[in-house]
Amino acid sequence: MRLELEAKSFGPRQVLGRLALAVARGERLAILGPSGIGKSTLLRILAGLDADYRGRLEGAERLAVVFQEPVLLPWRDAVGNIAIPTGCDAATARDWLAQVGLAGHEAKFPRQLSLGQQRRLALARAFAAGPDILLMDEPFASLDGDTAARMLALTDALLTRSGAGLVLVTHDPAEAAALGARPLHLGGDPARLQKD
Amino acid sequence: MTGAPKPPALRPGLVPGVLSILAMLLVWTLASQLTDRPQTLPAPWDVAARIMRLAATGELWFNAGMTMFRVIASFALAMAAGMALGLWMGRSRGADQWLNPGLIILLNVPALVVIVLCYIWIGLNETAAVLAVALNKIPVVTVMIREGTRALRPDLDDMARAFRMRPWARLRHVVLPQLAPHVAASARAGISLIWKIVLVVEFLGRSNGVGFKIHLLFSSFDVTGVLAWALAFVAVMLAIDLILLRPWERRANRWRQDAA
Repeated sequence: MRLELEAKSFGPRQVLGRLALAVARGERLAILGPSGIGKSTLLRILAGLDADYRGRLEGAERLAVVFQEPVLLPWRDAVGNIAIPTGCDAATARDWLAQVGLAGHEAKFPRQLSLGQQRRLALARAFAAGPDILLMDEPFASLDGDTAARMLALTDALLTRSGAGLVLVTHDPAEAAALGARPLHLGGDPARLQKD
Repeated sequence: MTGAPKPPALRPGLVPGVLSILAMLLVWTLASQLTDRPQTLPAPWDVAARIMRLAATGELWFNAGMTMFRVIASFALAMAAGMALGLWMGRSRGADQWLNPGLIILLNVPALVVIVLCYIWIGLNETAAVLAVALNKIPVVTVMIREGTRALRPDLDDMARAFRMRPWARLRHVVLPQLAPHVAASARAGISLIWKIVLVVEFLGRSNGVGFKIHLLFSSFDVTGVLAWALAFVAVMLAIDLILLRPWERRANRWRQDAA
């Protein structure tokens, strides 16, 4: 998929300037930059959640998003949280739960899971959608060091196994390095991609 | 949030509830004995005897059944139309701006006017009766569902869009569970409002049902009969609330409970 962005504004304030971005299956990109620079906005444009911009977005790849918060359906159990949004069957959902280490938690509701478990559930949901490209928005924020490290290793393994591409939005270059993602820095006002 | 679930008390509030009903019966008994005018205020046992007699002849079941049919039909119609309108108005600002004046007018038209107009325009038939009741209730449901729709979580909306969930799945799994408390509240408020209006509709233009019976008893100033019919039907409605609505609400709220 490729995005050729000319400008993105919220009201009178232009947030993102001219930039071009391309990613394919198997390729890993990380968009780095300080908070408030417009990283999440860029990811929302890529995900097709924000169509109010000037520019062009091409590509017919299947996408899946891992949001900053787990964003689960509180009224459905773990299996339902994978099967309902992705449309996969319950057996596939159980399989993905096992792959992220949540075997035995199938019938639990999100509130009964820890934050780390909820994030792994969100990760399983994203992979269950069978994406060509996975879009992740600060998925390791607000996790303690150990949990974040395990989540990173898990994400890396699943990406390798499924062959999916990745666009990761983060403020932490170490996360990008751990996933072997090519870092792109977002900076300036309005923000553009900066070469380094 | 934390650990220990509440001890499984049989029914909290059961004892005060029963005592409060007994106290009301006591006041009624005292008042009826002190006034000693059975035509105006009959004793509770006279009313109870009348209810028994009505039940034994089958008259109670037929007329209460007709009333119940009208309650259910207009309730279903009002909930369906009110939810559709409320969702639409909560989601679309344009729809809200266009439909809101009509909604406010309908909220403020007296029930009696709607009933009379329906009977005149449609005729003295079942359609007019059910429609008149539903029209009185639709704006109330609409307003409650609209408020609930405005409070829907935008992050879940994003999630549903990002995963390309189909409209029906989105409605069923993302939107309706969030609206469940509002739907339950409007159903609860609705059922009691509706059966009161159904009685007026029957009083004015039907030849069966509890309201029609009360009309007949009113012309003969039979207070015992009026009370017998009213109390019998209140009991039926309370039973529905306890047997149907509350268990459904508990089930719909199951996910809110934390198990260990």
